Amino acid sequence: MEANLALLIPLFPVIAFLLLIFGRKAFCKKMAAAVGVAATFASFALSTWVLVAGETITWKVPWLQIGNQTVSLSIEIGSLQMLMLFIVSVVSMLVHLYSYGYMKHDDRIQVFYAYLALFTFSMFSLVMSSNLLWIYIFWELVGVCSFLLIGFWYFKPEARDAARKAFVVTRIGDVGFFIAICLAFWHAGSFEVSDLQAVVESGQLTPGLITLLAVLIFVGAIGKSGQFPLHTWLPNAMEGPTPVSALIHAATMVAAGVYLVANLFFLFQASPFAMDLVAYVGGFTAIFAATIGLAQYDIKRVLAYSTVSQLGYMMLALGSAGYVAGVFHLFTHAFFKALLFLGAGAVIVLLSHEQDIRKMGGLWKSHRQLGIWFLAGCLSIAGIPPFSGFFSKDEILLSTYLDGRIDLFVIGIIAAFFTAFYMFRLFFMVFAGEARGPKADSKVPVVMMVPIVILGLFSVFSGFANASPMHLLTAWLSKGNDYTAATGHAPVWLPVLVVTVSLVGIGLAYLYFGSRKWSTSKVVQTVPRLHKLVFNKYYVDELYHYAFVLPAKGIGWFLYGVDRFVVGGLAYLTAWIAQFIGRIGSRIQNGQAQTYALVSVIGFVLLIVGLTAGRFLK
Amino acid sequence: MVVTSYLALSAILFSIGLYGVLTKRNAVIVLFCIELMLNAANINFVAFSKFGLFPDLAGHIFTLFTITIAAAEAALGIAILIALYRHVETAEADQFKSLKG
Amino acid sequence: MSINSEFIAFFILSVMAIGGAVFMINFTRVIHMALALAFTFLSIAGIYLQLHAEFLAVIQILIYTGAISILMLFGIMLTKNHEELKSSIAPWHAVLSFVGVAAFFGVLMWIIYQTPVISEPSDGEGWTILQLGERVFTEYVIPFELASILLLVALVGAVVLAKKEEK
Repeated sequence: MEANLALLIPLFPVIAFLLLIFGRKAFCKKMAAAVGVAATFASFALSTWVLVAGETITWKVPWLQIGNQTVSLSIEIGSLQMLMLFIVSVVSMLVHLYSYGYMKHDDRIQVFYAYLALFTFSMFSLVMSSNLLWIYIFWELVGVCSFLLIGFWYFKPEARDAARKAFVVTRIGDVGFFIAICLAFWHAGSFEVSDLQAVVESGQLTPGLITLLAVLIFVGAIGKSGQFPLHTWLPNAMEGPTPVSALIHAATMVAAGVYLVANLFFLFQASPFAMDLVAYVGGFTAIFAATIGLAQYDIKRVLAYSTVSQLGYMMLALGSAGYVAGVFHLFTHAFFKALLFLGAGAVIVLLSHEQDIRKMGGLWKSHRQLGIWFLAGCLSIAGIPPFSGFFSKDEILLSTYLDGRIDLFVIGIIAAFFTAFYMFRLFFMVFAGEARGPKADSKVPVVMMVPIVILGLFSVFSGFANASPMHLLTAWLSKGNDYTAATGHAPVWLPVLVVTVSLVGIGLAYLYFGSRKWSTSKVVQTVPRLHKLVFNKYYVDELYHYAFVLPAKGIGWFLYGVDRFVVGGLAYLTAWIAQFIGRIGSRIQNGQAQTYALVSVIGFVLLIVGLTAGRFLK
Repeated sequence: MVVTSYLALSAILFSIGLYGVLTKRNAVIVLFCIELMLNAANINFVAFSKFGLFPDLAGHIFTLFTITIAAAEAALGIAILIALYRHVETAEADQFKSLKG
Repeated sequence: MSINSEFIAFFILSVMAIGGAVFMINFTRVIHMALALAFTFLSIAGIYLQLHAEFLAVIQILIYTGAISILMLFGIMLTKNHEELKSSIAPWHAVLSFVGVAAFFGVLMWIIYQTPVISEPSDGEGWTILQLGERVFTEYVIPFELASILLLVALVGAVVLAKKEEK
């Protein structure tokens, strides 16, 4: 009974998608928004119910019979999945609501809602599936939705390019994931996650194979979660509408990579090398993206790099055996990052689609309420107690410390400092001081403000889900598995250190951008090279351009030339020969009986020669 | 005398006639040449009638028929020629192009 | 090959026939062509005589040299022929025709001279017009009747075709 009810969770969005995509002419804008919000609300209600009920739900039907193998459509909703369903449904519902305010003036809002619904459906299904093949199918479907939504304003060339880039770059990771699935099926004989787990735990697989599997799956996660070196698509994806950035590229889809690693955590646990890889890639991404975030001027790009950095934190936690810490950060990050994006979207709308933070300012005075909630998001991501980010980041750094990865711990602390700095740089530039660009006269619409407030409340309070004395989330997530991190008591100095570092970052940001006592240009002048390097995102895009894109283009040109001149030439030659023969034929067919007679005579001679030559040559 | 000489004569006349048929522009001359070719064939009939493996009068009779047919053909040919001439105002064979599609 | 009267006669007659044909091809005036052709027909009648086909020789003279040549002359008269024939035929056509005909002739001659002659010539004993008539009216009576019908049809057809179209 419960299983069947849970099955309805992805059903609502898919119905909404079908309704909207086929009836996009019939629905007016309000109706379309209503359909989308209603569907996601229904899913939200159901997933909340599932979360509260808290019982693991399994459901399985055979789907394909291949030889004597049965591939089933199977669903298993454990603690992690319930949590994910809850996050996705909450953020998705709020974004649906918010989109009506943001996209009000867009003519294709029905299609937009259809894509959003399809995305929500795929994300739900991805989370619910416990079969690698199905996970992969929805994984790709999520990628398709991302492509569609980034390129939603396809008439903008940047949006088109960004959509294509996102698709291609994530595809690189997907190939790794796909190979991993094939390998898993080959060696474990099943697509089921539970079967794979059983095989891994019974030690039937060699350690090398497990490492290979884990690394390949992690490659998929790198692509989806924008980890270094496949992070380049995520900042570009900000060309999509802001609600999409909030929903997909901050809260849910990019979390799919983290979710995948968490879901297949047993695999990583069995391989120390894979754990190291995850931790180091995560740590490096965290600091790498944070430094880039320091020098960006586009409000959404700063947030995008902060997303990359925070996802790096999650990977760092998972790689340091901090399963709970990683998932916890995924949980809190979804809320405060969605909040920040929605707030940024509101700012963008207020300033008539201005995205450059150098042209913003003074919003604190005119839009106090928005400012307060945005500040809440900033404080949360910077890790100031009692906001949610503090708790989760603290857990991450704790697990890193307890895992004995001191180098990564230091990196995490520095990244936390950078995070606080660039987030408050953003905050002060946007809200403090005087208006430097377009004036913001209008008010934020209620449909946009309500989601912001709700998410703000979540960002403030969700941290208490795993607050110190009770550790509710730890108990919840540890049900039925042994993923709990290395035990040990948190040193008292650790939260103090984190908070101090963050406060220093905030203070510096205030001095530079809030009160403007210190000037940034001096810093830029002292290290011009470094600034340029960071501003240009370490030239990673350019490097890829020269290392991969240009050679590929060269090969493309070469093959094009081959096709055009060799293959095409042959085709033209063939056509020309046929034409030539045809022209001769038509010349002969000139209607004069004598020409026909001549041709017959020649043919007759040839026939006679052919018939008699053999006989006489003997 | 052997049959070969007659056959060679026949071949020569036939080839000359054939060449004329192929190259002459005047339709009347083309008819001439066709008659010449028929005659060359007749020489063969008659020659084999005498020099053949089984000498027989049948060759003569065939020639007789051929001459009959040739006469009819010549008459019809001239008649068609005159009709055509009336139609296109020329007797030049290369002006008759209605066979062209 | 011994030189005897038969050979001399054949030689002269064939030279006349071939010469007439060649002249017919090479003359430029249509009336000369017609005369050259009549000469060739006459020579062929001589060849028939040499082959013990006296009746055919007579027929040849009557029909070809007489009737058909006269018919041709009528044809020439009734169509407006330019006296001097322009040789406006395409050169490639002429060359190709010559090559084709020469090849045909070569093949023909080769075959003729390759084929062995094994039989003795008949002396034409008993080949009389009487015998010819008997065979035509017994053995070949059906073709004979058909030929007469054909002639009749040709007669009617020629009249119909040559008649001026009624306006």
